[in-house]
Amino acid sequence: MFARYFISLAVVLAVGAASTAEAQEQPIAGRVKVASGDAYILRAGSQIPAKVGEPVFQADSLRTGTDGRLGVTMKDDTRVSLGPSSEVRLEQFAYAPTEGRLGFAMRVVRGLAAYVSGRIAKLAPDAVRLETPASIVGVRGTSLALRAGGE
Amino acid sequence: MTAARTASAAAAVLTAVMLTGCGPKTVATTPRPPSGDLVVLLPDQGSGAVGRVTVSNPAGSVTLDGARLATEIPSSGGPPAAPTVMDEAEVRRIFGEALSALPPPASLFTLYFEFESNQLTTESRKLLPEILALVVKARPAPEVIVIGHTDTTGSAPTNLALGLKRAQTVKQLLVETGIEADLVEVTSHGEGDPLVQTPDNTPEPKNRRVDIAVR
Repeated sequence: MFARYFISLAVVLAVGAASTAEAQEQPIAGRVKVASGDAYILRAGSQIPAKVGEPVFQADSLRTGTDGRLGVTMKDDTRVSLGPSSEVRLEQFAYAPTEGRLGFAMRVVRGLAAYVSGRIAKLAPDAVRLETPASIVGVRGTSLALRAGGE
Repeated sequence: MTAARTASAAAAVLTAVMLTGCGPKTVATTPRPPSGDLVVLLPDQGSGAVGRVTVSNPAGSVTLDGARLATEIPSSGGPPAAPTVMDEAEVRRIFGEALSALPPPASLFTLYFEFESNQLTTESRKLLPEILALVVKARPAPEVIVIGHTDTTGSAPTNLALGLKRAQTVKQLLVETGIEADLVEVTSHGEGDPLVQTPDNTPEPKNRRVDIAVR
C-alpha cells in the first residue's frame, strides 16, 4: 500500500520534473529591431549576427563593432540600444505580470548605451537595475544614456 | 487612442530634435579630465516627462531628477560626482549614435466591447484597418500583442476566459484584414488590470476592452 503510494508519488515527481525542465526553456525576452554594421548577439559562447527580427534571451550579450549599432525592443516595451564598439549584457529579464514575476537587469560592459523603460519599470520600479562597471543605477522610469568607462 | 497617437507623433518629433540640427562640431576648448562611467537622464521622448534615477556605488550615491542631469562615476572607486546639466549638443556628441539606434516606441490602441460579449463596439471595429496600416508600414520585425480585459461583472475565472475570447476575436479580425497570424500574440488579464478602478460586480464599458501594442 505504502510502496504503491511511494511509487505513484515518484512517478508524479518525475513527471513534474520533466515538465519543469520544459517550462525552463527560456521565453523570448525581446527582438532586434535596429541593426547596422557589425552587430552580434553572444549566447552560450557563440556569436550570432544580430539581424532585424532575431530573438534575444535572458543572459544574452549584445555587442557592436567599430561601425555597429544595435536596437532591441523587449517584451515589456523596454527599449535598449548600443552605439559603436559597445557591449551590454542582459543579466535578467522576467515579464510575467499575472504571476507576479517582474525583473530587468542589464550591465553596460563597455561603450555607449541608451535605455527607455517599459512596463516592468511601471509595474515594479524596484525590479529594474542597470549597471556600469563602476556603478549601479536604480531607475524610476523613462530614458537614460549610459557610458562605460572614459572617452 | 487619439492621445496615444499624439504621444507617438510627439515622440517622433522629439527624437528628430534630439538627433538633428546639431550644427558644426564644437571644438573642444578645455581638455576634459580623465573620466569614468557616465549616466545621463533624458526627457521622455513621448511626453517630455523626466524620470528619476539613483546612481550609486559603495562610495556614495546621487539622484538624477532633471532633464539631462548627468553624473560621472570615477573608475578609481570614488563616489558618483555631483550632478551637472549636460547640454544637448554634448548629449548628441557622446550618445548620438546609440540614441539613433533606439527602436520606435510601441503604438498602443484600445478597442472596446459590448457588455459581457466578444462583440466589438462599432467605433472600435473601424480602427482595425488603421492598425493594419501601422503594422505593415515599415515597422522593423513587427509584433502585435493583444491583451483582453473585462469589467468586474462575473467571477474572476470567467473574466479571464472572456478576456482571452476577446483577444482571440481581435486576433481573428486582424488576420482577416491581412496580418500574419504568427505576428499576433494573445493573452488575457481578465478583470485584474482595469482601466477604471471599480468595486466588484460593476459594469464599466471602459474596462471591457482589448489593448493592442504594435512594436
